[in-house]
Amino acid sequence: MNCRDITRLAPLYITGELEVERAAEFDAHLRTCSSCIEEVERQARADARLREVILAQEYDATEVDRRVRGLIAAEAKGHQLPRFERGWRRWTAVVAGFAAALVLLLVAYLSLGAHFPRVYADAATDHRLEVVEHQPRHWLTDPEQIALLAEEQAIAPAVLDRIASGNYRLVRGKLCYLDRRIFLHLVFSDGTREFSLYLRPRDAKGWPSGPVREIANRRPLCTVDFDTNHVASVETPEILAFLATDQSADAVLTLARFVAAVL
Amino acid sequence: MTAGTSRHDEFERVAMPHSRSLLRVARHLLSNQPAAEDLVQDTLLRAWRGFDQFQTGTNAKAWLFRIMFNAFHAQRRGTRSRALLVSLDHAGAEVDQSGGDGLGLSDAAAVSQALGSLSPEHRAVLFLGVVEGFTCREIAGILSIPIGTVMSRLSRARQALRERLAPADSSRRARSALCSEREARELP
Repeated sequence: MNCRDITRLAPLYITGELEVERAAEFDAHLRTCSSCIEEVERQARADARLREVILAQEYDATEVDRRVRGLIAAEAKGHQLPRFERGWRRWTAVVAGFAAALVLLLVAYLSLGAHFPRVYADAATDHRLEVVEHQPRHWLTDPEQIALLAEEQAIAPAVLDRIASGNYRLVRGKLCYLDRRIFLHLVFSDGTREFSLYLRPRDAKGWPSGPVREIANRRPLCTVDFDTNHVASVETPEILAFLATDQSADAVLTLARFVAAVL
Repeated sequence: MTAGTSRHDEFERVAMPHSRSLLRVARHLLSNQPAAEDLVQDTLLRAWRGFDQFQTGTNAKAWLFRIMFNAFHAQRRGTRSRALLVSLDHAGAEVDQSGGDGLGLSDAAAVSQALGSLSPEHRAVLFLGVVEGFTCREIAGILSIPIGTVMSRLSRARQALRERLAPADSSRRARSALCSEREARELP
């Protein structure tokens, strides 16, 4: 065994994966080669220090654990949860909608002339597919069950009550993904038209927002228009809310102002 | 006890204790804490849905990491244009500055910065091998790559980390020497 073999086999030697015979040859070489033994020892010390540095950092998984347990419990109760899949099966299921969404995104991109966070486009597409076009989904319609689902997502059910206290009635709810993150998707109705409200507890570092339209109730209110669909966002210290409607840019603004006032 | 309850209890016992390890690695793979938490959440949900396929008695931690890296690669494929490199603003607490290992691992910020500048592939093997304690064979299974590739990536990752930390360490030594010299001059 030569010095090059030592370099090559060092990872297996350090993890104790070298076969007994090879390990003996490795040891024998180290006994006769001071530069190799120095290198292996330096590497072992460096590994130990790296481990020490990383393990000294705080990684709190409490929030993730809570969310996972909540989702598993929801599944156990028969709620159909969204799948985090990007495979061909998902694409074939939404291929028609996807093509339309592409056109919608292109139009929005050209009209804005700038990038905006993907979550707005996702909200517009999701609202169009699930609310405007009524694609079949498993919705909860019992307010108590919806409140329970909100609670499992760390959203106080009182928030739902406050929004429903105006001219809007909570019609149905479920979970969905926007930009790879889980949101509580609620559909409200004013008696004639429905709009979507997507809620999620605010992340520690916030969320990349779209263009700020105005400050409502001391909260930045952002709006992005996508052809016939309109999305607005409102952020409080606790909650992130996205609204989507197919009515008009003015309608989503009115809704967002109302949500900013009651959140 | 129902079958569902026992499956649930088994999942709590076998899988959930590893969430912190998963988050630790995810945090160094992805650009921010929410994205890392989402990846871990997705991993554990996938694991729960496929828990019937898990063979009791086999290495649950390795199984979970394999699921996580599959999900991570799926995300990378889906967001090619997005930067998934770790940000350098979560260095963590300072640790003692004894150094002396020839690698210059003398503070947490420098190590985190150096790790962040490695490729995701190098970072992955380093974390799996050095921090999480997986063997090369296990890493090969987790990342679905040949063991020879794991060995060469580990060697290159270690070398790259040393190279990135060496200048900082040299300059720290130089600063330290300068301070000592200045203190010596200022002493009565």
